[in-house]
Amino acid sequence: MSSAAGWYAVALSDGLEPGTSAGTRLFDKELVVWRDASGASHVWEDRCPHRGMRLSFGFVRGTHIACLYHGWQYDEAGQCRYIPAHPTLDVPETIRVATYASAEAMGMIWVRSDAGPSVPPPSNAPVIPVRSLYVDLPSETVAAGLEARSFARVSPGLYSADVADTSVLLAVQPFTVDRTGLHLAIADSSPAVMAVAVWAEELRDALEAASREDAP
Amino acid sequence: MVFIGDFNPQSFAEFMRHRAARLSVRAEPRRLEVTRIEVEVDGEADLVDMFEMACSLGPIDCLVIDAYRELPRR
Repeated sequence: MSSAAGWYAVALSDGLEPGTSAGTRLFDKELVVWRDASGASHVWEDRCPHRGMRLSFGFVRGTHIACLYHGWQYDEAGQCRYIPAHPTLDVPETIRVATYASAEAMGMIWVRSDAGPSVPPPSNAPVIPVRSLYVDLPSETVAAGLEARSFARVSPGLYSADVADTSVLLAVQPFTVDRTGLHLAIADSSPAVMAVAVWAEELRDALEAASREDAP
Repeated sequence: MVFIGDFNPQSFAEFMRHRAARLSVRAEPRRLEVTRIEVEVDGEADLVDMFEMACSLGPIDCLVIDAYRELPRR
């Protein structure tokens, strides 16, 4: 991923059940986010090395993910372990999926953008995940809009603010050049899930409206 | 291994190199021409089969019409 170095949320943890996979993007790079049967999450390049099929269309089998196309299975490290058409083959180590460092913290699944020096993953904190939503604006425009609204920048991909007496964490996912994901969580003690969910939609509408007004 | 078709030889050579590295087989090009590619391939039998299948599809700027194997010349 060519991008600003750092950790970026790509999904809410509770949105990914064990044994399931989902496709997403970070800086326009296609990623598969999947959770194995043991509960561990993984973020990889969304591409089977065999024929390029998206692994997010595949099936999780225990601690492996299998490609939908020809059933090639990959272990937790991205190494191909089983090829159905050649069941006795000792699969070489060169057949593997590109993987990324990932972590779960603050109710979200984070992936480290690999540009620049490595930084530690976000620290965990008890939260209630609220929702994810997507804004039809570049992440830079969204970040500027958040800072103009007095959000505190915690890291390149994380902001915080108090909304109606509720402490809100807002993770920014640079999805593509003109689309941004927002993942929201609130402090563990807060009862305001619905209110923050509605507020997030209003925030998205306001950001997009402000951008339209600024357009020449 | 012989491929017959309509090739951009350098593009096909790069495609072969990439697939050989991924499949852990040794592939030494012996002839790179617009209508014929010859490559000496060595490795585990199943992986050599996969290499042949991968190369028979080829890169976007090459058309493979036929693929077959012949023993290396002595």
